[in-house]
Amino acid sequence: MGNRYLEIFCREAEEHLASLQSGLLVLEKNPARTELLHELLRNAHTLKGSARMVGLADISAITHTMEELLKGMEQGLRRVDAETIDLLLKGADAVALITSALMRGVPPELDVERFVAEYERGESGRLLPVEPLEAKAEGAVADTVRADVKTLDNLVNLVGEMIINRKRLEAKLDGLKELCYELPPEKAAPFTAFRGELEEDILYLGFLIQDLHEKAMGLRMLPLKTISDGLERLVRDLSLQLSREVQFEIEGQGIEMDRVLLDGLKPILIHLLTNALSHGIEPPEAREACGKPRRGSVLLSARHEGNSVLVEVRDDGRGMDPAAIKAAAVSRGVIEAREAEGLTDEEALYLTFRPGFSTAEIVTDISGRGVGMDVVKKNIERVKGNVTLSSETGRFTQVTLQLPLTLSVLDALIITCGDETFAVPATYLQEILKVRPSEITTMGTDEVIKVRGATTPLYSLAGMLGLPARRDAGDAPLPVLVLKHCDQRIACIVESHVGYSEVVVKGLGKQFGNVRYLFGATIMGDGNPALILNVPDLFQPGGGAPRTTLSPEEEAAVKRRPKVLVVDDSITTRTMEQSILAGQGYHVVTAVSGEDAMEKSASDRFDLIISDVEMPGMNGFELTRLLRASETYQDTPIIIVSSLSRDEDKRQALQSGAQAYIVKGAFDQGLLLETVQMLIG
Amino acid sequence: MATGNDNGYDIRSILNQMREEYWEALSEEESEAKQMLECLVFTLGGERYAFETHFACEVIRIPKLIRVPAVQSLVTGIFNLRGDITAAIDIRPMLGLAQPELGPAGRILVVRGDLFSTGILVEAAHGVQPLDLEQFETAVAGLSAERKQFIRGHFNLEEGAVLLLDMEALLAAPELLVGEA
Repeated sequence: MGNRYLEIFCREAEEHLASLQSGLLVLEKNPARTELLHELLRNAHTLKGSARMVGLADISAITHTMEELLKGMEQGLRRVDAETIDLLLKGADAVALITSALMRGVPPELDVERFVAEYERGESGRLLPVEPLEAKAEGAVADTVRADVKTLDNLVNLVGEMIINRKRLEAKLDGLKELCYELPPEKAAPFTAFRGELEEDILYLGFLIQDLHEKAMGLRMLPLKTISDGLERLVRDLSLQLSREVQFEIEGQGIEMDRVLLDGLKPILIHLLTNALSHGIEPPEAREACGKPRRGSVLLSARHEGNSVLVEVRDDGRGMDPAAIKAAAVSRGVIEAREAEGLTDEEALYLTFRPGFSTAEIVTDISGRGVGMDVVKKNIERVKGNVTLSSETGRFTQVTLQLPLTLSVLDALIITCGDETFAVPATYLQEILKVRPSEITTMGTDEVIKVRGATTPLYSLAGMLGLPARRDAGDAPLPVLVLKHCDQRIACIVESHVGYSEVVVKGLGKQFGNVRYLFGATIMGDGNPALILNVPDLFQPGGGAPRTTLSPEEEAAVKRRPKVLVVDDSITTRTMEQSILAGQGYHVVTAVSGEDAMEKSASDRFDLIISDVEMPGMNGFELTRLLRASETYQDTPIIIVSSLSRDEDKRQALQSGAQAYIVKGAFDQGLLLETVQMLIG
Repeated sequence: MATGNDNGYDIRSILNQMREEYWEALSEEESEAKQMLECLVFTLGGERYAFETHFACEVIRIPKLIRVPAVQSLVTGIFNLRGDITAAIDIRPMLGLAQPELGPAGRILVVRGDLFSTGILVEAAHGVQPLDLEQFETAVAGLSAERKQFIRGHFNLEEGAVLLLDMEALLAAPELLVGEA
């Protein structure tokens, strides 16, 4: 039996024993709480099973007896009395004694054989040394050292370096595999064997590093309890101040998170709880009137889900009223009435995240300053979390935060885009699709695809980031990431996705402040850095993502803004040109083909048209000639942007009636903008 | 007075000579320490430039540079400097210089400022040389204002002029900072 397993068992046993001990003590005080028995039974049962696995017959025998005792109580065959509980506690003590001796590699201070025999007969151990717990406590003090937080951070950074190095070793191993394939079979054999051994070593190293990483991270982790104590006080004080009757409960106090994250979580929770009390829970009389208990309930709970922590704040108050939220949003100019009508009830809830939104009619010192939920959203973005709202009017409001366990290592999808590698944090990833260009449709100025029936705006990631990208070829399916942030979804075309990976997050150094689109960088197996995308930035206005609503003044400005039609069959080019021009205040509409452009130019009036040359169907020169022949567009400036750089093409462009010709190879923002400005100001 | 000069042994003149030699050596040493400036010499925009060695951490071959989207063109990319993500910057436009392509001789000079370390892309690095301050002139004729900001003067060496960069001013230039603080 390996020491490794023993150690794991001892650690596991410690947890179960602690749980048994505390559960039994509660039971001793409240013998009626037989529902506790089930959990205790589970602890004993697991302990028994694990002990058998590692061949510890004594522990297995003791826990078996404990299990029998607990089963007896659960089935009502045995009384829940102090005597039995004492017997159970003695059993737990004995197991603790044996495991701690195992850990230290010394024989236990107990005649185990005799104890087991006596214990099976139901005799509690006279054999157990007195007050073993205190002795243990003393030992614990001596075993603890204080460590500087900075030292811990350094330690975690170093482990991060090791993870990166392991990845490099793995990449080298792959390289070696390739080399082996190239050798003639008779020479390859010893190399293949060597490679196999090396692979095992690296695998083992990987396990060690993972273990080390967990331990190192564990040092920085603190339970939710460290911030929740203050929250109970907050709720108590607030309910007095607001004359509410509230029962506040916290579940999952022991869930641990990186302390950096906890720091970020605290202001969010303060805000959410304040909201629950001031907007959610009704005054006692009002609650009684609608048949609810006088006392409202607010529940803060935390639990693990996969590699993230879910933190929920739920109140059984008046809930969020989608109609009232829409009305408030319209009256505060957050959204236009027309747009509000189109929103579903669920979408309406998320209006509360918009800057400038607050439903409290009176500004109080508690809430209602209009800087509420948008701040919550900002803070959640800061800790790379996601948030979901759900509510039923008159019944409840629930805010669910999905947070990573730590900010130093993230689960991410590795993608390539614009010839570079990026990591996309998995928290924001909904799904990966293959989309054929023919499945893309346009809606207003946006291009959209259907994702599970929902119309989702589609962008080219390279275009959004202003990176060059390969030309889309024909109707080959394009890899598309569907990203979610709060209630919004966008789809992004990428070059390819390489797979999921745990990435170590590194800052960009002090030369970099907050850089748009970027959260940090990581180092890949080949030793080169890859950038980690800050997904919420892709949803921000100007990044090409869903448009913001405009005030009447802005609306008027939009009307005065020159309108540009961008015609290109490549979504990358369209997105890129659109974001360059939109960034300079132009109103941009896109068309995917010459035919599409003709249709759009007929129903709208454009001040300038930018077109590609090679497109399926009508090409750019033909389009230019057609436009020139029409009455409305005979004098409208047309710019041809093309990858064709021959003089012949330039000549043809000018002949067809275009004012300017820009070669895509030398494509730079400045040149396009300059040309556009020169032509229409 | 038969003793003394007979063996041609003039203690006074010998002592004088020794004293002279001693002072000479002293002044030589002093002037040498004052005159030389230890500099890292390299090529930028086809011209020879230098800055004091104490700013330099190391000189490396140009690794793969990862482009950073939506930042100023000065930042050519980032690279991995033994685990630290470091920016590679092309300062030639700041000095109003041409930007010939960086070939195999191209290097990154990693320099340390008060706030951050950064990598300066150069066309070639020529190593550390002591430069004679006697040949240094602060005024450089025909320099535009933007170049003057970062150039302290030049050395008139036999093999041609070497311009001395004002690294302190360069590293403090706001153009070097990326993103919002």
